[in-house]
Amino acid sequence: MILATASAAPLARAQLAWLVALVFLSQLPLLPHVPLWVAAAGMALPAARLLLPADWWPSPRMRRWLLPLLALALAVAIRMRFGYLLSRDPCVAFLYVLVGIKFAETRSARDGGLLACLALFLLLTQFFYTQTIGAALITLPALLVLGGALAALRDAPPPGADWRAPLVRTGRMILQGIPVAAFLFILFPRLAGPLWGMPADAGARTGLSDRMAPGSISSLTLSDEVAFRVDFQGPPPPPAQRYWRGPVLSRFDGEAWTPLPWLRRGELAPRSAGQRIVEYDVTLEPQGRQWLFALEHPASMPQRAADGPPQSSGIDRVILTAEQQLLSRTPPLQTVRYSQRSALGNGFPASGTLEARENLQLPPDRSPRTVSFAHELRDRSGSDRGFIAAVLQRFRTEPFVYTLSPPLLGSEPVDDFLFDGKRGFCEHYAGAFVVLLRAAGIPARVVTGYQGGEINPDGGYMIVRQSDAHAWAEALLDGVWQRFDPTAAVAPSRVERGLGAALPQGEPVPYLARVDMTWLKRLRLHWDAINYQWQRGVVGFNIERQRGLLRELGLDLGRPWEVVIVAATAITLWVAFVLGSARLRARRADPAAELWARANRRLARAGLARAREEGPVAYAGRAAARWPRWRPLFVSLGENYALLRYGPESVRRDELLAALRANVAALPNVRALRAAS
Amino acid sequence: MSVAAKVASWPARWQQRIWRRSAADSGSVVLRHRRIYILPTRRGLALIATLATMLIASMNYGLALGFALTFLVAGLVASALLQTYRSLAGLAISPLAASEAFAGGELGFSLSLANPGSPARSIVVATAQGRSVRLDLEAGATQIVQLSAEATRRGRQALGRVTLWSDFPLGLWRAWAYVHFPLAGIVFPSPEAPAPPLPAGHEGSDARRSARAAEAELAGLRDYQRGDALNRIAWRAVARGAGWYSKQFEGAGGRGPLDLEWAALPPSLAAEARLSRLTAWILAAEREARAFGLEVPGLSLAPGQGAAHRRAALTALALFPAERRP
Repeated sequence: MILATASAAPLARAQLAWLVALVFLSQLPLLPHVPLWVAAAGMALPAARLLLPADWWPSPRMRRWLLPLLALALAVAIRMRFGYLLSRDPCVAFLYVLVGIKFAETRSARDGGLLACLALFLLLTQFFYTQTIGAALITLPALLVLGGALAALRDAPPPGADWRAPLVRTGRMILQGIPVAAFLFILFPRLAGPLWGMPADAGARTGLSDRMAPGSISSLTLSDEVAFRVDFQGPPPPPAQRYWRGPVLSRFDGEAWTPLPWLRRGELAPRSAGQRIVEYDVTLEPQGRQWLFALEHPASMPQRAADGPPQSSGIDRVILTAEQQLLSRTPPLQTVRYSQRSALGNGFPASGTLEARENLQLPPDRSPRTVSFAHELRDRSGSDRGFIAAVLQRFRTEPFVYTLSPPLLGSEPVDDFLFDGKRGFCEHYAGAFVVLLRAAGIPARVVTGYQGGEINPDGGYMIVRQSDAHAWAEALLDGVWQRFDPTAAVAPSRVERGLGAALPQGEPVPYLARVDMTWLKRLRLHWDAINYQWQRGVVGFNIERQRGLLRELGLDLGRPWEVVIVAATAITLWVAFVLGSARLRARRADPAAELWARANRRLARAGLARAREEGPVAYAGRAAARWPRWRPLFVSLGENYALLRYGPESVRRDELLAALRANVAALPNVRALRAAS
Repeated sequence: MSVAAKVASWPARWQQRIWRRSAADSGSVVLRHRRIYILPTRRGLALIATLATMLIASMNYGLALGFALTFLVAGLVASALLQTYRSLAGLAISPLAASEAFAGGELGFSLSLANPGSPARSIVVATAQGRSVRLDLEAGATQIVQLSAEATRRGRQALGRVTLWSDFPLGLWRAWAYVHFPLAGIVFPSPEAPAPPLPAGHEGSDARRSARAAEAELAGLRDYQRGDALNRIAWRAVARGAGWYSKQFEGAGGRGPLDLEWAALPPSLAAEARLSRLTAWILAAEREARAFGLEVPGLSLAPGQGAAHRRAALTALALFPAERRP
C-alpha cells in the first residue's frame, strides 16, 4: 500500500531540511545547560550530514554500526564527565547527542517520525533548568517547525514549495488548540510531590557562599540577579530592619570565615513584648544552597505558600539551627515559594553556654596589632557595651571608607585593614569587628545574608538582589545575641538607602542598585514585575493554586461526574468552534455560493427544492413560473449567479455580487411565498 | 416493518452501517460524521506516547512549563484531528461508470468526487484490492477518479467497497470512510491465444459475391482445417508435399456470416475453454470485419456486426452461467 512504501522510501532533501531545522531548534535552548563538547557533538553530526557530499558520508551499512558505536562512546564520555549516567543532567546531555546521531542515521519517514518525537522531548528538558518567559518563547519556533516537519514527512513537499505555508498552518492549528491546552493546564490533576526521587544535581549558581573572605561579598554585589522576591502582608518593615538572615560564620583562620562544621538544632526564639510581627511570602530563586532566608528573626517555620510551585516539597522539611538560620534538607532546584513570619528585632537569647566558647576562638598568633589594640581598648572602656560603642565610634571617626574596590591586603588582612588601608566593604568591617570583640573576650560572630530590598512600584512586591548581599555581626551580651552592623557606622546610607547611595561616585555599582530612577531602570522593573507574575501565575501553578482556582469556578475535582460534564461541554464547544469557524472562513471565501445557498434554502422551505443537477437558470425559471409575481427577481437572481459561477473571467464580479446580494435581500420571505403559491 | 422485525434486523443494519459490506449506497454519498472514522496513525501514536512521557516528567519535576508545552502539543494534535476529519467531511462521491475488460486485463471504474467549497483536500481513494489513487481536490472542485482493478474472472465484477482516507495535514491521524456503490464492470472471458482460425462462414448465395471472392487478393496461407472449402486448399503446396494449407483472401466481403456455435466445438473442450475460443473468434471476426452469429446454450444471437453486436456477444459469454453444462 501507499502508506507502507512511503514510510520506507528514502527521505527527500526538503524533508531532511525540515528535520534538521527541528533538531537545531530543539537543541538550541539547551546550549547553556550542556557541556560545550556535548553541544558541539550534538550539532556537528546533523550539520555534517547536511553539508558533506553524499560520497564523503559512510555508506548506510557502515553507518549501521558506526553510529551506535559513536553513541556508546559519547555515553561513556558523558558518564566520565558527570560521574554517573542514570541521572537527570547526564540523561539530558545524552538525549541531546542522541537527537544528533538519530538525524545522522535517519533514512526513512519512519525514522523521521521517531526523530520528531525525540526532538519534542528534548525541547521539554530545558525546563529542568529554567522556566523563564524567554525559555517559553524559545520553544515556539520549534513547535511551528515540528508541525512543518510532520507535514513534510506525511507528504514530501515538491521542490520549490513554499516553506512558509506549513508554518502558517501549524500556527493556526496551535492557536486552535490553545483552548484545549489551557483547559488541560488548569484541570489536569497536579501532584503534591514527585513520583520518584529527584536527583540533587544542581549546577553552580550565583549567590552567597558559606565562606567569607575579603572580596567574596563585594564580587557578589556586582550582580543584578534577583535573589528572592517578597510579598508582604501589610506594610514592609523600614529599610533599617530589612536584615535577611543567611549563613552564620563562627570560624576564623586569619583570612576567611566559615561556619561551624557541626549543626545544632535550635528552637524559635520566644517572642518578647512590643516586637512587630511581619508576615510575608518569599519566592526564592534557586541558589543551589539549602539556605532559606527570613527577616531577623524568624518567628515561624516556613510553610509552603498557597501558591508555591510543587517542588517546594523541600520546604516541608526545614530545620532551624541554633543560630536561628533556616535550612531546607535539600537545596531547592527550582524557584520555591514559602510563607514566613518574623518578629522584627535585633536580638535573641543564646541557646547555651557552648555557643559562647565557640564564638571566642581566634587563630593563634594572627592579627597581633588588632589583638593588642582590642586588649588596650577593652581596658580603657569600662564594660563590654562601652567597648563595642568605642569600636563603632572608631569606625565612625577614623577615615574609614566604604568601597567596592579596597586595596590588596597583605598577610595579616585584619591588621592591614584596620590600621593601614581603612578602605573596605561590609565583609571587611564585619570581620574586623568580630575579631576585635573576640580579642576583647566578647563572644561574637559574622552573619551573612541580604540587607535591604527594593519595592517594585509595578506590582508592590520587594525585590532582593544579589547586590543586596551583606555581612554584619552579632555579639553575645548578657545571654542575648545582639546585632551590630559596623558597615552602618561607616556608611549609614548603606542600610537606609542601599548600596548605590552608600558607595562614592565612580564605584562600579550594578545598574539596578543605583538610586536614580532612569527610564531604563523603570523598564527593567516593569520587566521584573512581568517575570514575577509569570513565576507566580504560570510557573507556580500547582496543586494549591489549582484547587483555589477551581473553588472559585465552583468545580470540585473530587466529583468526577462534574468534571466529565464540564469536559464534555468544553470539548463540544471547542469542536463546534473550530469546525464552525472553518465553515465561516469557507463562506467568506465564496460569498456567491453562500448567497445562492441561502436563496435555495428559502425556496426549498417554501416548497420548491432545487433538483440535484438543476442549473441556476433552470431553477430560477421554475421559481418564476411558480411565483409569477416575482418573475423578474427570480430571473435576475438565476442569471446573476450563473454569470458569477460560470461566466467568463471578464465579468465585473463585484458588481454582479452586489446585484446578487440585492436579489437575495429582496427575496420574499417563506410565509409570503407559501401564501402566493 | 414491525417492531419485532426491526429489532431482529438491528445487528445487520448496524453491521452494514459500520462496515458497509453490501453495495447499498446509491446516488451521491456525502461523507458525514456517521461515516467517517478516525484513529491515530503509527506516527500519531508515537507522538502521543511521547506526550505521555513528557507529562510524567513534568509531573515528577513539577515543571509548569513542561505541562504547558505538553498540553500545547496536545492541543495541536487535537486540532490536527479535526483538520483530518475536515479533509473528508462534506465530500460528495457519486458513481459514474465501470468499464469492460477481458479476464486478466484491467477493469476501470470512475467515480466523481466533489469538494463543496471547503478548503483544498488531499485524499486517497483505495479499492478493496488495495489499489489506490492519491488526489488533491481544490476548494469547490469536482474531479473524476479512475480506479482500476485486476479483472480476475469472467462475469460481473463489482467495484466493491471503496475506502477514502486522508492523513492530512500532519499525518498523525487517519480518517477514513467506506462507500459501497453497486457499480460493476463486465469481465469478458479471456480470448484463447493462440486461437484456431475462424471456422468458415456460409457461402454467399448470390453469384456476384462469390465472383468477387474469387477475384479477391490472396493474402496468405494458413493451416488446413477440417471443413475448409475445397477450392480454398492450396493444392500446389499439397502437391509439393509441403503439407495441407488453405488460401486466405483479403477484403473478401463475400464470405457469408459466421456461425459461432457452442455445439460445433470439439466435444472434448471444457466449458470455459469453449467460452475462451468463442471470445477469440468474436475478436477475430471483428478484426476481419465479418458478421457473425452466436449460438450458445440458452442464447442465440442473430448474425450481425459492429460494436454493439460485439459487446452483446461478449457480454453473453461473460455472463454464461459457470455451472451450466450443455
